[in-house]
Amino acid sequence: MTKVKLDLPISTDDLSSCVACGLCLPHCPTYRVTQEEGSSPRGRIALMQRAHHEGAVDAEFIQFIDSCIQCRGCETACPAGVEFGSMMETTREALTAQTHYVPWWLRLGYRLLGSQGALAAASKVLAILQRLSLIPRRFSLPRIPLTQKPLRSSGSDVWLFTGCVMDAWMRDTHRAVQRVIESTGKAVAFPDKRAVCCGALHVHAGLGPDARRLAARTIEAFPGDNPILVDSAGCGAQLKEYGRLLGSESARKFSQRVFDVHEWLAQRVEDLPEVDLTPPRIAVQDPCHLRHAQRVHEAVYQVLGLYAETVPVDDDGLCCGAGGAYATLHSEMASDVRDRKVEAIERTNAQEVASANPGCLLHLRSAGIAVRHPLEIVDTLMRKGE
Amino acid sequence: MVHKSADQNLLGELRSFLGDRARDGEFELGLYSKDGSVLEGNPMIVCLPVNTEEVQQIVTVCRKHHRPFLARGSGTGLAGGAVPVGDPVVIATAKMNKILEVDLQNRIAWVEPGVLNLDLSRELSPLGFHFAPDPSSQQVCSIGGNVANNSGGPHCLAYGVTSAHVLAIEVVLPDGRIAVLGDLTAEPPGYDLRGIFVGSEGTMGVATKVAVRLTPNPPEIRTLLLDFADVRDGAATVSAIIAAGLIPAALEMMDQRAIEMVEAFVNAGYPTDADAVLLVEIDGLAGGVEHGIEVVRAVAARHHVGSVRVAADDAERDLLWKGRKNAFGAVARIKPDYYLHDTVVPRGKLVEVLEKVYRIADAHDLIAVNVFHAGDGNLHPILAYDSKEKGVLERVHAAGRAIVTASIEAGGVLSGEHGIGLEKRDYMGMLFSAHDMATQDLVREAFDPDGLANPLKVLPSGSRCSDSFGQHVPDGAWV
Amino acid sequence: MSQRDAMQQEVDQFAKDVGASDPVTVVGGRTHWQVGGLPEPEAREVRAPEGVWAHEPEEMTVRCGAGTTLGQLSEELARHGQMVPFDMDANATVGGVLAVGRSGFRRLRYGHVRDLVLQIRHIDHKGRIVSSGGPTVKNVSGYDLCRLLVGSLGKFGCIAEVTLRCLPIPETTQWFTGSLDPFELHKKLYRPSSILWNGLQVWVCLEGVASDVAAQAATFDFEEAPGPPPFPTVGRLSVEPRDLQRHVTSSKLACLAEVGVGIIHTNEVTHSRSIPEVNLSLMRELEERLDPNGRLNPGRQVLNR
Ligand SMILES: Cc1cc2nc3c(=O)[nH]c(=O)nc-3n(C[C@H](O)[C@H](O)[C@H](O)COP(=O)(O)OP(=O)(O)OC[C@H]3O[C@@H](n4cnc5c(N)ncnc54)[C@H](O)[C@@H]3O)c2cc1C
Ligand SMILES: Cc1cc2nc3c(=O)[nH]c(=O)nc-3n(C[C@H](O)[C@H](O)[C@H](O)COP(=O)(O)OP(=O)(O)OC[C@H]3O[C@@H](n4cnc5c(N)ncnc54)[C@H](O)[C@@H]3O)c2cc1C
Ligand code: SF4
Ligand code: SF4
Repeated sequence: MTKVKLDLPISTDDLSSCVACGLCLPHCPTYRVTQEEGSSPRGRIALMQRAHHEGAVDAEFIQFIDSCIQCRGCETACPAGVEFGSMMETTREALTAQTHYVPWWLRLGYRLLGSQGALAAASKVLAILQRLSLIPRRFSLPRIPLTQKPLRSSGSDVWLFTGCVMDAWMRDTHRAVQRVIESTGKAVAFPDKRAVCCGALHVHAGLGPDARRLAARTIEAFPGDNPILVDSAGCGAQLKEYGRLLGSESARKFSQRVFDVHEWLAQRVEDLPEVDLTPPRIAVQDPCHLRHAQRVHEAVYQVLGLYAETVPVDDDGLCCGAGGAYATLHSEMASDVRDRKVEAIERTNAQEVASANPGCLLHLRSAGIAVRHPLEIVDTLMRKGE
Repeated sequence: MVHKSADQNLLGELRSFLGDRARDGEFELGLYSKDGSVLEGNPMIVCLPVNTEEVQQIVTVCRKHHRPFLARGSGTGLAGGAVPVGDPVVIATAKMNKILEVDLQNRIAWVEPGVLNLDLSRELSPLGFHFAPDPSSQQVCSIGGNVANNSGGPHCLAYGVTSAHVLAIEVVLPDGRIAVLGDLTAEPPGYDLRGIFVGSEGTMGVATKVAVRLTPNPPEIRTLLLDFADVRDGAATVSAIIAAGLIPAALEMMDQRAIEMVEAFVNAGYPTDADAVLLVEIDGLAGGVEHGIEVVRAVAARHHVGSVRVAADDAERDLLWKGRKNAFGAVARIKPDYYLHDTVVPRGKLVEVLEKVYRIADAHDLIAVNVFHAGDGNLHPILAYDSKEKGVLERVHAAGRAIVTASIEAGGVLSGEHGIGLEKRDYMGMLFSAHDMATQDLVREAFDPDGLANPLKVLPSGSRCSDSFGQHVPDGAWV
Repeated sequence: MSQRDAMQQEVDQFAKDVGASDPVTVVGGRTHWQVGGLPEPEAREVRAPEGVWAHEPEEMTVRCGAGTTLGQLSEELARHGQMVPFDMDANATVGGVLAVGRSGFRRLRYGHVRDLVLQIRHIDHKGRIVSSGGPTVKNVSGYDLCRLLVGSLGKFGCIAEVTLRCLPIPETTQWFTGSLDPFELHKKLYRPSSILWNGLQVWVCLEGVASDVAAQAATFDFEEAPGPPPFPTVGRLSVEPRDLQRHVTSSKLACLAEVGVGIIHTNEVTHSRSIPEVNLSLMRELEERLDPNGRLNPGRQVLNR
């Protein structure tokens, strides 16, 4: 068995915080579909412990670490408070820096996300290929717009973060979110192009330096003290992590200004307009980055609940398998994970599904599920009920 | 950790039918070297079968190579039962996780051993039934593990432990034959093989299918939280409730340290100034439940209860239970390591033994926290420590031994639900004579004359006729 | 001499009685003497010690000599409002009940007697005392030989001393009778103690606090009954609960079935069911090891010939 050297900079304290009780196992999507110890949080921590101890890893180590969706379902399930997410990020970063874990073409792809011009150009190519039916369905891309109308700021009460892929492909969602925010009487400002990408995918892939560069740039795009609202659970979780990622006082201050848009709206439900409609039955899929990372998923129920009958999906918030780039890079595991989610959604007998994260949205849509962002649903209902 | 590299012939034969589900990667083997205890061993090969036939083939191949084997469920056992010693082949049942049949007419379900306990109850819930044994680890422990350890849980006070809820078990015997022990009738012919297999900790073969009894969900459930300014009053209340002729569905106790830790973590509204709290659950028909609440109130009042809180709704009930069920983890937040003990004493001796536990912990400079199934006298003293401290493990082990001794002296037993495994096998002599153990070994031997199934477990080496896999417990084992 | 020592002496004496050689058979109340066939005539008859040695109401446990009759035991337990739901002849002995290993007619609610056994001390084929299980209500220390002794007809050892888990005597016990589909009734009721059916008429036993018994009884239109009907005694069948209906309706002679349990008491002669080959070989291995010379209860058979 060939091994490669790896120096894993995780403290022994963190590594030994896991008492191997296994309570996280059923909350781990990859364990749920494989039932293999290596694909479980407890197993992955044991792998890290061993790598730390031996200063080297084998092929299975890389495979099991790589198959983690980084959904952090294990973190909320863990009674011992093990900080799995950050341990996994450190492990990925060590792998990326010290081995050939992330291939060149993938690194290039992530670069693309950090450049608005390049992303726009690439998106246009994709859009054209799509129109020519040249993109296989299994890539699960949404219908990418050929031309994009710009977003317009309406004032400066709150910022709305726009992001990379979402802005390029799903700008209509931002527009709906903007309308919902404005219905509370507040005006929305959009950042300039320095806030091009939050860097979450880079962190997941272990591209720490890239992520820190993007973070620094993003912070610059939001001067002042106004709250920064985010309508993508994944980006929101990442912006809230900047304090830890950069370790600077300004970054910490910045992170404190960040709110998931539902979290912010839930504080002011009385400002939201009432509508006179029979509420539709909507299943709510809790994105991991809202439930396990930010832990504010209840807010979606509070806001959407004003307009719809919300039904939770009864799977303890198990990940849907999207996981940023995961669905593309590990399509087989991702679709196995998704099958469980789809079954759970079907059990709800809901008309439509709400998901507050673009990644989950796209991933579920490609399984034929009718799913929209919660605030797009709210926006439609508000306009209908006017 | 000295890893004995896989016997290539054996591996080749296993791969011939398991393909890549027979593993020998060094890092991966390490993942199956432990369970929920602090003990550690070395598997030679890990197999991930998906059905009975594969298990049978694995056992047959192992036998041919005279290689011991060991079944593993979810690896949450706390007595080292699933820790591989003697370089065995690990047979992990996790992929055998289908609920095969729910038979409402017979009120049973046939399940594969890797089905998780809580998954089963959730599946049954819409039909109005559940699987009664509910270990605190129920979200992750497997039915196979429950059967092998005869596991219990808070609700076993009223409903009985696993053995009362298993009717039949399909087993791959250590010689590779398949047998169904017990059947779906009330009085299967012949001796009760099913009964002796339950609790045999994997030493009599591998369970590959289990017929479990379905218990109807109670129409009414009420949960009460009582607090006491003196732990002695709490313990006396436990005995008095039972003596008053009431068997609550569950009767759990937490001491002052446990209350503080749990409250900091779950915010269930536990009174942190109390010396002890009791969590009492009463279920059944409305009249009996009301009556039960009255009995509890009256008994508790006689024993100087502080306040009695009755959960108003399911949400409050869940919150109260959440505190109880996450207690062990909450301890891990104050000290990185803990050692969880499991002994049973007569209810009337709870206070006496609890006080001894505190004294023992003090004498060994450790912190003891108590969260336990008071209703059946099942103590779970948790010793919290930091393994980085020099020599701390010796102290933990010495204290553990003293606690077990104190429990037995009080008329108790070695284990209420975690089993003997590797952890307590050398304590067996405290409870049983050499001849008692030799008789137990005769029974084990009838199933496994060559000692291939989960060797070196349950009985101390001296009492076994066939210890061909070395006398020594692995590093880390302290028994 | 302390009580403990006195009891120990009785057990020691029983061990001597059993001895290390020549065939023996333990006599209980002789209420089920013929189960498994009669013992060989040369088998020496011995009796297990009797007496309720320790009843601890707060522990809900009782320790007694295996020769104690159910009558004696019930009387002692009832003083503290407790019982062991054996439902058998008052002259039967605790050891005999366990050796025969059949359950009582309230099994539907209380389960098998086996699950109430906490600890057994028995005398093995060499006349030595063997202890298994433990005195506490919960215990998983070591292999639980108790479960193997229950239903073994004494062929694995002579039961000397037994510790049992007791239960509170319910506030109300009431039998009802009438005619209804017993299977529907079983679905509807929450933990009835017994549902008996002879193909035409149904008897139900409800237990608990009076208001619950009344409320449950109000859901069906039955009249009160003084107790269960007489049980046919010739044969005893144990079938899967779902097959009960078929067996009862095809029965030619009188029978009484325990609904939800699957036991049929009948006046037809029944034969013990055959044991699968693999199980049979394991059982023989056990006999071979636990009584190599076949001196315990010779002549009687748990395993069909
Ligand atoms: C946080 C926590 C709380 C716990 N609370 C409780 C509690 O309240 N009550 C309680 O009783 N226990 C409790 N336990 C202990 C443990 O969860 C139980 O013993 C459980 O039944 C073990 O199941 P498992 O699937 O993890 O088995 P494992 O640990 O994998 O194995 C346990 C034993 O069973 C054997 N085994 C497993 N599967 C099979 C099979 N198919 N055939 C034959 N043998 C097999 C193994 O060889 C081993 O000896 C707790 C553990 C933890 C970590
Ligand atoms: C009217 C009636 C109804 C009954 N209903 C039921 C019922 O519903 N459920 C049920 O389970 N049973 C029932 N029985 C059966 C009976 O009550 C039991 O089987 C009882 O166990 C027999 O006990 P005994 O003391 O009379 O044993 P005996 O008849 O004296 O002996 C029975 C067998 O047990 C052996 N034995 C006795 N004592 C010991 C000992 N200490 N150690 C080892 N072996 C021993 C004997 O050698 C013999 O083989 C009923 C009997 C009657 C008469
Ligand atoms: S982050 Fe998600 S996929 Fe990764 S180990 Fe935790 S639960 Fe499993
Ligand atoms: S990560 Fe937490 S829940 Fe999972 S095994 Fe470790 S301590 Fe237990």
